[in-house]
Amino acid sequence: MADTAPDTAMGAALSLSRRAFLLSVSATAGGMALGIMPPAASGADGAGAEFSAWVVIGRDDTVIIRVPTPEIGNGAMTQVAMNVTEELACAWSRVRVEFGAIHRDYLEKGVYSAGFLPFFAGHGTDRQRMKRALQLGASARERLKVAAATRWKAAAADIDAQDGVLTHKPTGRRLRYGQVAAEAARVELAVEPTLKPESDWTFLGKASPAKLNTPDIVTGRLVFGIDVRQPGMVHAALRQPPVHGGKVKSVDADAVRGMPGVRAVVIIDPANTKGAPIRPKATFTLGDTTAQWGVAVIADHYWQAKMALDALPVDWDANPAAAAFATVEHIRAAVDARLDKAEGRVLRKAGDVAATSGARVVDGVYATPYCENAAMEPLNATALVTADGAEVWCPTQDQQQAYWVVIDETGLPPESVKLHQTFVGGGFGRRTQADDVRMAVAVAKAYPGVPVKTIWSREECFRQGRYRTPITSRFRAVLDDGTGLPAAVEAEACFTGSRPTFHLTMGFDDVPYFTSGIVPNVLIRSSAQPVHVLNGAWRGPCYNSHAFIVETFIDECAHAAGADPLDYRLRLVNTWDQSWSDCLRTAARHAGWGRQLPRGEGLGIAISGWPQAAVHAMGTIVCTVAHVAVSPAGEIRVKKIDVAFDCGRVANRDAVAAQLEGGTLFGLNAALQEELTLVDGAVVEANFDQYPMLRLADTPPIDIHFDALSGHSRMDIVGEAPVGPVSAAVGNAIFSAIGKRVRGTPFSRHDLRWI
Amino acid sequence: MTVIRFRVNGTARTLDAHPSTPLLWVLRDHLGLTGTKYGCGIAQCGACTVHLNGQAVRSCQVPLETLRGADVVTIEGLSRDGDHVLQKLWAEMNVPQCGYCQAGMLMTAAGLLKTSPHPTDAEIDNALSNICRCGTYPRVRAALRRAAQQPPGTGGKVSHG
Ligand code: FES
Ligand code: FES
Repeated sequence: MADTAPDTAMGAALSLSRRAFLLSVSATAGGMALGIMPPAASGADGAGAEFSAWVVIGRDDTVIIRVPTPEIGNGAMTQVAMNVTEELACAWSRVRVEFGAIHRDYLEKGVYSAGFLPFFAGHGTDRQRMKRALQLGASARERLKVAAATRWKAAAADIDAQDGVLTHKPTGRRLRYGQVAAEAARVELAVEPTLKPESDWTFLGKASPAKLNTPDIVTGRLVFGIDVRQPGMVHAALRQPPVHGGKVKSVDADAVRGMPGVRAVVIIDPANTKGAPIRPKATFTLGDTTAQWGVAVIADHYWQAKMALDALPVDWDANPAAAAFATVEHIRAAVDARLDKAEGRVLRKAGDVAATSGARVVDGVYATPYCENAAMEPLNATALVTADGAEVWCPTQDQQQAYWVVIDETGLPPESVKLHQTFVGGGFGRRTQADDVRMAVAVAKAYPGVPVKTIWSREECFRQGRYRTPITSRFRAVLDDGTGLPAAVEAEACFTGSRPTFHLTMGFDDVPYFTSGIVPNVLIRSSAQPVHVLNGAWRGPCYNSHAFIVETFIDECAHAAGADPLDYRLRLVNTWDQSWSDCLRTAARHAGWGRQLPRGEGLGIAISGWPQAAVHAMGTIVCTVAHVAVSPAGEIRVKKIDVAFDCGRVANRDAVAAQLEGGTLFGLNAALQEELTLVDGAVVEANFDQYPMLRLADTPPIDIHFDALSGHSRMDIVGEAPVGPVSAAVGNAIFSAIGKRVRGTPFSRHDLRWI
Repeated sequence: MTVIRFRVNGTARTLDAHPSTPLLWVLRDHLGLTGTKYGCGIAQCGACTVHLNGQAVRSCQVPLETLRGADVVTIEGLSRDGDHVLQKLWAEMNVPQCGYCQAGMLMTAAGLLKTSPHPTDAEIDNALSNICRCGTYPRVRAALRRAAQQPPGTGGKVSHG
């Protein structure tokens, strides 16, 4: 640390002026007592009566429903409120939502997690969670009836509850919920009410209300993490080693000391993580969330912090492990060598692949690259750390994970830590692990007593991602000489990256082609190539790559067999759930499969299921058909996309359609143009000028078809599944249009000229 | 530091900050108007779009020093009661997902309707170059097409925009 100021303590703020630093602490300490609730999270008016940690009813009939699921854009928060409303029979127009707090869950021993975790994603509609929410609503409704019955000296059974009004049927007397809420909240039921049969539902599956937070979105009032404001708050800009796993060698803090608004320079040393005082109950492990080395500048305003950070001279020690992987080509060479050895762990084996022979063989290597989640809200969190407590406001996808990360980073006991969920400006997996929250806490604990908002610039987000795990797979099929279907399939998928949490096999060895017995001889392996670049969760982790690879390979098999790709797939799933055939037929029918198209145009089809394709009637199956035009100069234009799916049933039709549209576009962008590259082991792409995103003008019409829904009782998750098949559908359409096979994404990097 | 006077959502403001400070951060950090979002900082994403002297601009590219006497309208000032025709259509047609990009989308779309009250599909495609990672484009397009068909004079109460 030769170049740093003499009073530098590693991991502590480099106070630019001790006096100014101390002053700032004392000036704000009074207002900084722990327990301040942000305005956005304290919607309950003082007069509200709490029926449970979940339900508060105000004198003015406002019903506040506290939801432990974050709202990342999928409408999960609104869905949980709808579920409670169905049984509570309150007026939807009076329903407000707030986030349930994980620290309350901890202190009150699982008030939000009984039956399910405060877990991210769109699981808000799944059966177990829905049942719990319905029960909470039913329970509150019956307590309201008992309170009204007591007032009227009548029988609760004679009272009807509807639209927030209690009516005594024999006399017609009425009370609004708000008028008896205070008494009702004190009622204890001898037995919990039975839920009404689904056939009596009047709201779920019938209505598609807009998300409850939409009015605040369209007026700019919604508070995302980046919008949090706390009294006395300061701002930090953060930079981590350009080569992942590198270290800070030296920092010349003097160079920015005099810049406007600058308060401190912080060096983050992972050795300063304190460790949780008790065994963490994080959703995932904490191993993938470890602090990185870094430097941060704290200033009065973010722009000041950013300008000073940009001007701050920092010397980095590169990670020696990066030397072998200066570029993605180096990684690919190591992966190819590994696949050539074919020594991966066996995931699935049936029959005897080696003994199978046939005249037609399909053999190929398929690959996906590093991709960044690129949620539109840059990573950020606001943290206030004192000697005996911490309070954090963050747009996390998983409160439980974030809570334990804060505890681990500060070493504070869980009861001294408060976490406030904010709205989330997109996650796509990037905000599940809470490594972002850890870095913000690491900065704030070096500047104790003052709330510090740390924002990762867009450049920092791009270069410090926990990227999509690149997958390179070899597939080889021997086709049956008679039927043309694969008689044997041998495959190995090689995961790039050192984090096995994100080496997932969904969509790879579990697809019905390989599990239903239709292909008699199967040998499927997986392996991994450790590299320094950090991999993580990216919408439908790993499945998104496997689906592209498997469905491109199957398309090649169909063509090698001289079969129609739709017909070939129908034969392959013939012995599996009807749902797969229905999705294939439905999407194909709507897309006009089989029609004649002009030269340079083609249709492509692909199907996949998330997250458990090998289990009957589980998860969501999505079939996508893409209509693509390739110009003679090789430019790809997607003209139309048709999607058919089966998730069982749907609770909110329009919200489901929105997820399928969004997931399809997410996958389409990756298929066409997403790829991160390395120079000297560091990620090159830093912003949207180097990492293009589809815009409205590039967006084809996307039709979501509901007519393949099986009506099975599950209401499964729909956010991830559509990301899978779209890339293969587009790639297969390119083949059908111009006869060129694309075995890797992004397609924009392929030479697709055809004149 | 330079003292600059300008108007935001109809209110006179005086600001003393570094002249290079982008309007985006002036609004968010100095004036507490956090509806305008940071997405890229390099004019790529449009999340920071506001109206400057009646035109939709990307506020991350507008330094404070150029704002002397300017008239700025942000999402908070697009309408008095959240009843701009686009705000109503956005809710009715369930346009937003996470919502982070939507203030920029709305300000861009509102800017388009001001210059072209009945935009063609090509005009919509050209004007709406904002990035939405959630993939709300089909709904943004559908809502704008609906707005394009509205008879004149139904554009909601626009207070300053
Ligand atoms: S933040 Fe200004 S265009 Fe992206
Ligand atoms: S709605 Fe999430 S980025 Fe557009």
